[in-house]
Amino acid sequence: MNVPNAIPRVATGVVRRPPLPRASSSIVRHAILIAVGGVVAYPFYFMLSSSLKPFFEAIQVPPTIFPHELHPENYAEAWNKAPWARYFANTFLVASLITIGELVTAVLAAYAFARIGFKGKAILFTVLLATYMMPGEATLIPNYVMMSKPIPGQSAFFPILRLGLYDTYQAQILPFIASAVSIFLLRQQFLSVPNELHDAAVIDGAGHLRFLWSVVLPISVPALVTVAILSFYGSWNAFQWPLIITSNPDIRPVQVALNAFRAEAGTSYHLLMAAAAFVVAPIVLIYLVGQRYLVQGVARTGIRG
Amino acid sequence: MRKLSVIAAIAMLIAACGGSTPVAAPTAAPTTEADLDITGPVTITLWHALTSDPQKGALEGAVKKFNETNGKGITVQAVVQGNYTQLYQKTLGAITAGSLPDLAHAYESFVADYTKADVVVDLDQYVNSKKNGLDQASKDDIYKPYFDTNRFAQYGNKLLSFPFTKSLAVMYTNLDVLKANGVTAAPTTWADWEKAVQQATKKDAGGKTTQYGYAGTTDASYFNAMVLSRGGKIMADDNKTVAWAGKEGLDTLQMLDRLYKGGYAYTPTNFDWQNDFGTKLAYVFQSTSSRPFIAAAMKTPVNWTVGAPPGGKTVMFGANVAVFKSTPQKQLASWLFIKWFSEQDNTADWATKSYYMPVRKSAANNEALKAYWTAKDPQGKQAYDTIGISIPEPNVRGQQDIRDIITNMIVSVTTGKATPEAAIKDAETKANQVLKDAQ
Amino acid sequence: MSGGAIAITSRTASRRRRLLTENLWAYLFLLPAFAFLLVFKVLPAFYAIYMSTFKWDIVQGAFRGIDNYTDVLFGARAEAWWRSLSTTFTYAALTIPFEIAFGLVIAYLLFQKMRGRGIYRTLFYLPYITSTVAAAAVFEWIFHPQYGVLNNILDAFGLGPLRFLQEPDGIFQMIGSHFGLAVPDWAAGPSLSLTSVAIFSIWHFLGFQIVIFLAGLGNIPVEYYEAARLDGASPRQVFQKITLPLLSPQIFFVFTIATIGVLRSFNEIFVLTNGGPLDTSRTTTMLVFRTFFQQGQIGLGSAMGVLLTIVILVFTLVQFRILERRVQYG
Repeated sequence: MNVPNAIPRVATGVVRRPPLPRASSSIVRHAILIAVGGVVAYPFYFMLSSSLKPFFEAIQVPPTIFPHELHPENYAEAWNKAPWARYFANTFLVASLITIGELVTAVLAAYAFARIGFKGKAILFTVLLATYMMPGEATLIPNYVMMSKPIPGQSAFFPILRLGLYDTYQAQILPFIASAVSIFLLRQQFLSVPNELHDAAVIDGAGHLRFLWSVVLPISVPALVTVAILSFYGSWNAFQWPLIITSNPDIRPVQVALNAFRAEAGTSYHLLMAAAAFVVAPIVLIYLVGQRYLVQGVARTGIRG
Repeated sequence: MRKLSVIAAIAMLIAACGGSTPVAAPTAAPTTEADLDITGPVTITLWHALTSDPQKGALEGAVKKFNETNGKGITVQAVVQGNYTQLYQKTLGAITAGSLPDLAHAYESFVADYTKADVVVDLDQYVNSKKNGLDQASKDDIYKPYFDTNRFAQYGNKLLSFPFTKSLAVMYTNLDVLKANGVTAAPTTWADWEKAVQQATKKDAGGKTTQYGYAGTTDASYFNAMVLSRGGKIMADDNKTVAWAGKEGLDTLQMLDRLYKGGYAYTPTNFDWQNDFGTKLAYVFQSTSSRPFIAAAMKTPVNWTVGAPPGGKTVMFGANVAVFKSTPQKQLASWLFIKWFSEQDNTADWATKSYYMPVRKSAANNEALKAYWTAKDPQGKQAYDTIGISIPEPNVRGQQDIRDIITNMIVSVTTGKATPEAAIKDAETKANQVLKDAQ
Repeated sequence: MSGGAIAITSRTASRRRRLLTENLWAYLFLLPAFAFLLVFKVLPAFYAIYMSTFKWDIVQGAFRGIDNYTDVLFGARAEAWWRSLSTTFTYAALTIPFEIAFGLVIAYLLFQKMRGRGIYRTLFYLPYITSTVAAAAVFEWIFHPQYGVLNNILDAFGLGPLRFLQEPDGIFQMIGSHFGLAVPDWAAGPSLSLTSVAIFSIWHFLGFQIVIFLAGLGNIPVEYYEAARLDGASPRQVFQKITLPLLSPQIFFVFTIATIGVLRSFNEIFVLTNGGPLDTSRTTTMLVFRTFFQQGQIGLGSAMGVLLTIVILVFTLVQFRILERRVQYG
């Protein structure tokens, strides 16, 4: 069972080693990085500058590099064209509940795998690994059918379990409550908790729950934050599943709404860019604050998004 | 056994916190179903594809008016589900999910697919209901082709949908651009038209086009319109094979091939032809419902018209509305909304706000609509006058796939990947296969 | 019976009881996660197989055994299926080598001591955290045939205009015809449309590659570099003789992960081209989506999903083998 260890350990050395001494000329290096950085940054600049242009300037050929007239009211116009507040609230609700749920299930399962000896551990771990390897494509159609209402006159459990959750918040949340990756990641962290702490806690008469709550979790905060940020980030940007599983705009998340807005905006590209900007903004903020955790999470799990 | 009880437990848990969507109990349809009364407040959901204003706003306005004035406690909720393709996908998905809306905006070919799952209500009983139906005068007033196109030969000639957002495939002409390039007479043949397109094209010294005469579209309906206007047919009479692959279809493709190869035509992105038409483009084929967008995209007003292409025939299109099987109350409420929507004043009012066509002949006598046409939308009248020479598209199952096949055929010709002869032959084979599979 | 024997039995009994409670605790802790995984991961996998054995055209029809699979692999759907697989791997070839090359170089540059490292890193990761829908809306416009900035740049060199996302022509064919060469159809290359999506994809995932490579660079013992420096090795030699070989497990890792990512990619293609023009960007996931969602062919769609899963699983197993070996060495 080398494999499970391997997953979270793919690259544990994030930013731990001191950087290398300079190897190439500083000017050349900066020149390359600035050139590539310019290409990387251009779409963002383009989005922001276009979002501030009036309609006819926005579609002008060649495009103006800097807006001749600044129209920040484009943002208000784009915001008022659709119930964005509702969409943001939906996404926030769904992403938060997924994050909380994922943390709870992962903490408990990871603790069991890391710190309790029990019968059938190897088998259950293999099952976990199998679910990790199962790509979402395998489950897209059946999950969709599972969310459907029971067909009248047929069993709701057999041959296919039918939950009747199409077009609900639950349908957007429940499939993502448990994630093998998060369990692996936290298990790795929990394994690193020194045994002496456990022994001391047992002498104090603490059971598993108390040990987990008062010892393991407090020293695992960085790992928990990493899991939380990864989970939140993934749910915030989720698109395909909510696209197919929702039809009621009242529960629609922002990404699906932005996709719908592309049709609504028609040729009003300046408004589309404004909408794209405010849809991207929250996750960029979270990223700027929690960059370290996000990057570490990506490096450790190899989730490509 | 343990697994099963876990599933059961979870299912119950989920059911306990779910249940926000209304349960649609299927019901058999007694003949008297259409003659009921609305007995209490009913809320019905309408899915549609009017993604942007003014159409979206016009529908919302009409729905609001109906909700306020119907006096029976019926509340309609209009929900956009994206463009027509997305609406179609959503509705197909909702059939699988068992969560259909009460009524949905749909093209005829969509309805043909939905009916496969036996979820569409036969509207004949409602139209003919003594109590809630249409009187004879109304039946005669609504354009007959609008009824015909919603009768499905494949399904016992039942009326499975009702005219809703009707429009036409028409040719938009920018007279100023034509005049500036020496075209004064409206072309009456396709050969003349092709010449006009060439004349309206401008190229620089290097031979690069700086102004195109025609903005091509890859949408199947306009190809169909061109075929019809050349005197061709879209489907064989038995609905088993396509008929557009004959001489008229080939002529159309060859003409497009010449225009693209010569640098006279291009395929615009998304809605950009709207901007181009306002400034430098002579011809474009689009729906009559594009009028407001074209007008809005004009920096300075230009002289423009809409009408049938040379040959004087075109495709009648625009979508209809289908009612899905639910409860007798909801079905009746849906029908009452549809009926209200088609009443003379309402359809006329709709025409002034949405730029769609009124469904009744008598709407042309509506003073508000007449005044509006004269003052604000002369092209609306031109479009209206074209209804009589329009022909509906096929309403058979599989047509949706065939539309994609036609689009691919056009793209492969206009991008030079295939000769018109090869492309049309290939497309015909594929389309006939689709029709065979969909039987 | 001696007292000792009683003590022993009672001790084993208490040990057994403790083991039992330990087991109970463990199962209790595992229950939530496994209940959800069972319902949303394990059962659906079986349902997919079940559904793939029926004619399921909007509504469930007759059982047809493996006929859906034969239709997909050899029958009426075979042309679309094999073409989509070939498109998928072409897409992989258009993205992965470039992602790896750029990611490696930039990670290497960023790993050294320099001013502004933090700013560069933040910048380079930014596309990766941006949602595909928002980013693609921007790129759709950058690629725009009329208003797009790319055509503006090309125009400055007397080239273009190109139709990027709407162009079904092969890129080699287009380059050839620019120089007056007739490139035969079999060598036409990927469509410009697919290539444009690939450009977006490289931009979008560059940050991911950098993260992984930076982590890999962090795992190389500093002593190696010091020794090399003492031997008077040039920076290029250091990169070629130390960094690259020691980073090769990382490169393999990125390679397999990126391949799986491409096999599963949906969002960017859905938003940018929706599989068009002329199906030249219809990858397998797009085909499955269309079969299921636009044609209502649930049985055929499930069969395709199962086949795609098998392809992905092969790559996942390869990835695990690499990891396994790496751990053994480490």
